[in-house]
Amino acid sequence: MNRVAGLRGMGLGPTALVLVAGAAIVLIWGQEYAGSVFVLSACYAIVTAGMAVQIGFSQQIAFSQSVFMGAGAYGVALLNGNLGMSVLEATPLVMIGAGIAAFALGVVVTRASGLALAVATLMLPLIAVGYVTSASYLGGAVGQPLTGTLWPGDSQASVAVGGGLVVVAFLAIAVFVASRVLRSDIGLELFVLGVDERTAAAMGVRTPRRKLELFVLGCVFASLGGAAYAGTQQFVPETIVDPTAELALLIMLFIGGRRSIIGAVVGALVIQYLQGASSWVSVNILVVEGVVLTVVLLVDAEGLAGIATAAVAWLRGRLGGSGAGGPSTRSHSGSRGPLTRSIRGWRAIDRQATRGSGAIDAELSVPEGPATRGEAAVPRGSDASDPALDQRDGASAPLSPARGQALLEVRGIGKEYGGLTVLDDVSISLPSHGLFGLCGPNGAGKSTLLNVIGGSVRAERGQVLLNGTDIGRRPPHERFDLGISRTFQAVHLVKGRTVLDNVAVSCLASHHASIITRITRSRLADARAKAATALRDLGLADIQDREVSSLTLEAQRMVELARAMAPEPRLLLLDEPASGLSEEQRQRLAVTLSQLAARTCVLLVEHDLDLVAQVSERIFVLSQGRLVFDGDPEGFRASPVVTSLLVGL
Amino acid sequence: MKLGNLIIAGVVTGSIYATFAVCVAVWYRVSNILNLAVGDFAMVGALCVDSLYRVRGLPLWAAIITTLLIVSVFAWLYDIIVLRLAVDGRGRAEGIVLTFFFTFALSFFIDGVAKMAFGSDVHAAPALWNGASIAVADLHVARAGILVLACALLIGGLFWVYIRFTLGGKALEASGENALGARIVGIDTRRYRRWIFVGTAVIAAVFGIVESPITGYTYLSGATISLTGFLAAAYGGFRKPGRALLAGLFIGVLEALLGGYVSAEYGTTVMYAILAALVLAWPRGLGFESAVSG
Repeated sequence: MNRVAGLRGMGLGPTALVLVAGAAIVLIWGQEYAGSVFVLSACYAIVTAGMAVQIGFSQQIAFSQSVFMGAGAYGVALLNGNLGMSVLEATPLVMIGAGIAAFALGVVVTRASGLALAVATLMLPLIAVGYVTSASYLGGAVGQPLTGTLWPGDSQASVAVGGGLVVVAFLAIAVFVASRVLRSDIGLELFVLGVDERTAAAMGVRTPRRKLELFVLGCVFASLGGAAYAGTQQFVPETIVDPTAELALLIMLFIGGRRSIIGAVVGALVIQYLQGASSWVSVNILVVEGVVLTVVLLVDAEGLAGIATAAVAWLRGRLGGSGAGGPSTRSHSGSRGPLTRSIRGWRAIDRQATRGSGAIDAELSVPEGPATRGEAAVPRGSDASDPALDQRDGASAPLSPARGQALLEVRGIGKEYGGLTVLDDVSISLPSHGLFGLCGPNGAGKSTLLNVIGGSVRAERGQVLLNGTDIGRRPPHERFDLGISRTFQAVHLVKGRTVLDNVAVSCLASHHASIITRITRSRLADARAKAATALRDLGLADIQDREVSSLTLEAQRMVELARAMAPEPRLLLLDEPASGLSEEQRQRLAVTLSQLAARTCVLLVEHDLDLVAQVSERIFVLSQGRLVFDGDPEGFRASPVVTSLLVGL
Repeated sequence: MKLGNLIIAGVVTGSIYATFAVCVAVWYRVSNILNLAVGDFAMVGALCVDSLYRVRGLPLWAAIITTLLIVSVFAWLYDIIVLRLAVDGRGRAEGIVLTFFFTFALSFFIDGVAKMAFGSDVHAAPALWNGASIAVADLHVARAGILVLACALLIGGLFWVYIRFTLGGKALEASGENALGARIVGIDTRRYRRWIFVGTAVIAAVFGIVESPITGYTYLSGATISLTGFLAAAYGGFRKPGRALLAGLFIGVLEALLGGYVSAEYGTTVMYAILAALVLAWPRGLGFESAVSG
């Protein structure tokens, strides 16, 4: 459904492709030079398949692969040479060892994020190569030979072909695991993690845990690749842990396509074959790699996989006459949006969106869904004492509090940023339903208060109580689980994915699951179904297959709203949802907000005072970190404090 | 006086790391691209001068000028062909990771070409200031080392004056702060990107020429220098040339002390371990997080 991810299907396609094509190549050419190059590149492909998950998708740039590939290779060599174990017996042991080592290292290393992670792990190959060249028991700068082979055959032919088939099987396992993970609900989590860690945490993703899992996964794959390398080459050179080896692996990944498993495999093949293509190329491999990498990245940032996808889309467009025609020529056709077909399609839409085309705009009609049921016209008909509404909510959220108890109580919150008091003894209390406005001049502490409630900022003083329980020390993802959902001031959608997937992010049931359990079953379909319902509720069903960056700002904000609403939160925090919208769009938003208020408790931070007064049943005003007004819209309009502060008279 | 000599040696190598770190940091400010190829320009500088002077028999001054011309023309061409397509073109390469890989490919390319042109043996440009190392009491300073230090001070000072006191420097700072905003107020950020790129390439080449008599270069030496300069820039938060400079000096001295006192064999290994520990213990303080989000 989209050229980056292609998340449909079971993930068996790539595995079958690798297994069948690989086995055929080994059986036909296994004893020749071409076959041996293939087997060598398959060893590297096992490593790059793991890198596609870790680096390509999740953007966790860690330079640990060559080190763990070396650990796998040396581990097998030592077990084989010193303990007389066969290579096949030693491989699982080495993988377990690598997994444990990666876990221990990862606990420390993955605390860092982004560039810090990259720089910290950049030292690993540098440390490793220094160690290995001086370690005599590893053969030092000479290298370590193996006596055993991956497949213990009695003839040269059976060793080559048998070993090749085992490597292909290893590669197929790696590809299977990687593509299953990516196609599962955790795959979607990883994608969000790769785009923006903060959004991921606010949607309930356990970011530290996922980062650790990814690190271990990448390292275990690398050690398997290293074991296969040692078993088939029967020699471990010290260059295997060299920083250059790490760079070569990265080149393979980026040439093949960093977000495609098959691309990563193809990248490894291409580089290995290039090295053997001719003597000129093998001598000047650096020049060739440099030029190839530059050209491929210039043509398509997604590497060969991206080029292939675009080419296929172009061919389809040519043959079917409808591939990348743009939005005006195609209506929405089920699950396959026209935009996601090809890069050209995307760019066409992008241009159209920036021109502010009315065509896209018009698709956002005023919400009319099953949720409205005639209550839409009542702006403030959301009193908690309304028995009909209470009942409906009670059915969907069994944890709703006893009548009379506040849903959220913020008591005496104080927060300083380096001596500057941002929040000073702020206390507010919200019931289980209704819409509440939070206003104040710039820098009054509105967003900070929202962050304190949402958990991304921790207050120095005071308590945050949800249904009477203090949640002030809980991290954002736990608060999400307790029913606090939020939007951000700037639009934080995941580009390159559809509206449906963006909303599904908040409906995932995978937050407590480990990556491994998702290999056998994925619950992504459930999340998508839930997301589709939320989109229908907000009248967005007809844009659900659009790629998000092709949407207007209004539509993007509505999608964020749908994402925040989809998990049926008890408390919805909205940070300036109307900013950047036109008057007409604001009116549509007001209607939607009123509908939401009937179902849940909404705290709305907003600069548009008319909008706030129109939809809120109670309004709080902050100024310089203090609560200066707390009352109903009539009082709000009449209050001299509010007038002087916000209207600027 | 072992300590003193080690510190002097450390300051000399450190000043090279520091200069490269400043080059990386300044260009990153303008372009938001991390340049991993700075060290390769240094290697080209040294080996090209050596080849022109020793093999082709050009006079030294002609060899140096030709080399610097070749480096600047190449850097200029790279910018107007590859970077323009990659960064300004239709399919804009976004994100620090992707653009980083362009310079990474550039580094491979330069190393490969250098191997073709200059072979894989260790060479060095001829010493510009001949003579035995200068001894003050028990302290020994290689003459090339003094030249390196002088160059580092000169270039560092010029950069500082340029950024601090000239309109161009302000514009450069503005480009780094907010490229779009800078463009709106009429600063041609692309032109700055190009000139700083060419300028840092030439500076790197000069350093290669001056320093190579001390260590000697092969076609692969560039990557190592780049990497350490890059690390120093990273510890300076990538955007702060002043801190990058300090970090470069620190790494140089640390390397020399560990090599002298701990173990010549494991010295660098220990150094990298210390550097990694620093990143992990103090990522925010070292500016890593702001570098990514900002």
